[in-house]
Amino acid sequence: MIAVVAVIIVVILVVVVGYSAGWFNSKSSTSSTTGCTLPSAVSLTGEGSTLVAPLMDQWATSYWTGSLVTYDAAGSSAGITAITAKTVDFGASDAPLTPAQRAAAPGLLTIPESAGGVVPIYNLPGVAGSLDFTGNVLAQIFDGSLTNWNSTALQALNPTVHLPTQTIVPVHRTGGSGTTFVFTSFLALENSTWAHLYGKGTSFPTNITGGLGASGNGGEATTVGTTQYSIGYVDLNYALTSGSSFGVGNVQNPTGNYIHANITNTESALADVKPTLPAGTGDWYNVSLLNAPGAHDYPITTLTYVLVYQNLNAYSTYTAAHAQNLVDFLTWIVTTGQSDSAPLYYVPLPQYIVSADTTSIDSMTFGGAAISVCIPS
Amino acid sequence: MIHFDRHARRKLLSHTIAVLSGLAVIAVLYPLVSIVYEAFVLGGGVLFQAQFFTAVPPNACSALSCQTVGIGPDIVGTLILIGIASGISVPVGVLAAIFASEYRARGLGRAISFTADVLTGVPSIIMGAFIYGYFVIYYPTIAYSAYTGGLALSAIMTPIVVRTTEEGLRVVPNSVREAALALGITKWKATLRIVLIAALPAVATGVLLAIMRAAGEAAPLLFTALGSNLYPTGLGHPIGALPLLIYFFALSPYSNQVKVAWGATLFLLLLILIVNIVSRLLIHRMAVRMGGT
Amino acid sequence: MDPLTPSSPSSSPVPQSEAPHRRTDRHRWGDRVFFGLVAVVGISVITLAAAIVGILIYSSQQSFRVFGWSFLWGTVWSPDSNIFGVVPFMAGTLLTSAIALLIAVPLALGSAIFLTTHAPRWLRGPAGTAIELLAAVPSVIYGFWALYVIHPYMASTIEPGLHQYLGWTGLFGGTAVGLDVLTASIVLAVMIIPTICAVSRDTLLAVPQAQKEAALSLGATDWETTRVASIPYARSGIIGGIILGLGRAMGETMAVTMVIGNADRIPTSLFSQGQTIASLIANELLSNTGPLQVSAILEAGLVLFVIVLIVNIVARILVWRVLKVGGGVVE
Repeated sequence: MIAVVAVIIVVILVVVVGYSAGWFNSKSSTSSTTGCTLPSAVSLTGEGSTLVAPLMDQWATSYWTGSLVTYDAAGSSAGITAITAKTVDFGASDAPLTPAQRAAAPGLLTIPESAGGVVPIYNLPGVAGSLDFTGNVLAQIFDGSLTNWNSTALQALNPTVHLPTQTIVPVHRTGGSGTTFVFTSFLALENSTWAHLYGKGTSFPTNITGGLGASGNGGEATTVGTTQYSIGYVDLNYALTSGSSFGVGNVQNPTGNYIHANITNTESALADVKPTLPAGTGDWYNVSLLNAPGAHDYPITTLTYVLVYQNLNAYSTYTAAHAQNLVDFLTWIVTTGQSDSAPLYYVPLPQYIVSADTTSIDSMTFGGAAISVCIPS
Repeated sequence: MIHFDRHARRKLLSHTIAVLSGLAVIAVLYPLVSIVYEAFVLGGGVLFQAQFFTAVPPNACSALSCQTVGIGPDIVGTLILIGIASGISVPVGVLAAIFASEYRARGLGRAISFTADVLTGVPSIIMGAFIYGYFVIYYPTIAYSAYTGGLALSAIMTPIVVRTTEEGLRVVPNSVREAALALGITKWKATLRIVLIAALPAVATGVLLAIMRAAGEAAPLLFTALGSNLYPTGLGHPIGALPLLIYFFALSPYSNQVKVAWGATLFLLLLILIVNIVSRLLIHRMAVRMGGT
Repeated sequence: MDPLTPSSPSSSPVPQSEAPHRRTDRHRWGDRVFFGLVAVVGISVITLAAAIVGILIYSSQQSFRVFGWSFLWGTVWSPDSNIFGVVPFMAGTLLTSAIALLIAVPLALGSAIFLTTHAPRWLRGPAGTAIELLAAVPSVIYGFWALYVIHPYMASTIEPGLHQYLGWTGLFGGTAVGLDVLTASIVLAVMIIPTICAVSRDTLLAVPQAQKEAALSLGATDWETTRVASIPYARSGIIGGIILGLGRAMGETMAVTMVIGNADRIPTSLFSQGQTIASLIANELLSNTGPLQVSAILEAGLVLFVIVLIVNIVARILVWRVLKVGGGVVE
């Protein structure tokens, strides 16, 4: 008995000491393509948006293994809180900073690293194909005024589909969610009651009773997939890759067409809106890709942002290696990393946004000096 | 005649209660059987892949790949977190229990014993929340790290170690202590080398059970260790753990991640159940042996 | 080191009764250092408890400054308008714990009675061990199992059935989706049964044989013996065990979070989605919209801590009274 415990303790001690001393680090600082000096392995931590999490996870896997990136998808508000508290190296949010949040964390850069679409998903057993929705009807579903699947409004939008006589179970996001921000922004544009009573925000309105709450885009997809007669809203990636038992709805855009979201029409939405970007440390609150003007644009498209401090001396424990790792990673994701976007149904950034991002990243300093970039191969 | 009816009725009632109580046991044990069964059915297939214990957890299924391995970083993470937690809680717990047990005349000893007893009932999420609350203000850059995760787990383990060590020390007969003192051995040597050694099997079992408890905890790690899908490179960064992996992947919409969660569940379940069964058997055997002397 | 050899040749054989007072200087120094060491470490256990309370109080300051004591009876939790009150989560915690007890107590007591009275000797050990193994299963595994095994069954069969036959009670209104207060309560019941059963069994076993034999000799059946001789004697211990189970139910996090539906509202029916204080912390401590919310969440955590503390102290006192051995290692 004692021998067993002793062996366990020895094994654990070896592992603990080994990891703290870096014995098991097989990563070495090999040279890069351009021959500059790579920093020693420093880990980066990011937190925030679940909308972009699949892409972040892919980047963490394909980036240089010398700089390990841990991304915690706890929701956009969590990302903003974490970067404000400086518990992480970068935050990620689909909701841009509010003026109050900018004031609480001065010196944060907003860097759009990708764009995605928010789509309605629904679980209707026996109903094939994709249902048509308008923003107006979606608002009525989610505020509880439209309660039945075969109501007149829904049936009118889908005359050829036999909708069941069942109560609609709307599934919203719990906690502070950038996806909710985008979705409620769209609902506020399309439905005056919603705009008047609830507006847009990262929290789903709490005075709307009824419906289920789910945590994260993943939880939303799981809940809709396992709850019959439910409807929810998730990022395009989750809608298309879950392999789940839900349908993806079409949303009407300003030209009247019902658009089934895909990589093409979200990309064209971004291209057609061509938003003017503020400076890195400026106010991004009004940047929106909603209701893009093109005939085949998907109306609920959004940029998603990485939040970092412009002056990395804001962290008391940073080293030059750490700062360089962060800058290298950021540069990589907006350039080389963009090739991972489309296969995962995220919109690759057009060149003008990449340039703006690069300018912002170049403005980052540590120890009073600019940080040299050294992208590993 | 009435007398016999009443007697028969009473007997019938007693037998009915016996049957009902037997059914209660079956109802109570059903979840255990169900959990183990489902874990085998849903996780067994995944567990026996070559790389399950060494590969990193899979990303979401995509057009590129859809893997159902592995849990390597989380096993390592659990080991590291338990290592740190044990490194704190075992010395602290044993020494505190020695104080409470061997120096009991002082009211402080009883206060410590009582506090430890009460601390075993504190919800584990509170342990994680208060550690987070402290570090996010004073040391934000290591708020998400193996250090804070280990601290949170040690807050859970220490009271358990204190209690079990105390029980183990209490069972050591006073004659042993008196004999040691009569031989002129100093109290501290007597305590450490004789009394504690005599109680060592019980203490070791208690430590093992505390470790198994900590190995299964996810709540206190949600805001401290945070979780990670990569092999850890150091202790000052977020780190994965088996219960965290199970939690995150259980809620995932991707079937490959859910499968990995079931595999991890089966592994963790088997580990915890087997260790528990073995240590209870050993406790039983020790009790028999002690009772015999 | 041979324990039979005196540590120092210069020390004279010491009479037992005066052992602590007759030491050489060297021995006294070793003893003093060791005493100091274990005392300091012992006090650190108390420090841990104080640290938990202290840090929670410190973090709650901001919320307390804004809401004062009205936080305790505030029924609105709205991160958007920065209004926070703990009542919805108190309601969720108390409701799920109460229903869990309703389900768990008969099953746990029944099992304890079976294990102590009716079970054949060869079955008592293994069955008791199996029930205790239930306590070793991690909470997150219970939640995972509940989500994938129990919840679909609840949604498809049990809840519609309850709605159909017992809907008139008003308890089973609303759409039955399976992720709600009822499912959470059922999972909690499963998790606290081993606690209640173990304590009940220990206290029933502590009943003196004489009591039981007296009843049996008067012609009582097994059940009557239990009812008349054992349970009254063990009553405070059993109640203590039940209260311990209550304390555990109120603090459970992972399993509840996965099946309760996560709605920050007071539940109006058993099919309502709800939130306990524990699941609130798990869901929103990181995913929050600002520091005031964090402070409010930690204040809610403080409330939970205090309530569970009181419940546990009451339970321990009741259990100690019966077992008289300072309590076993019951969790």
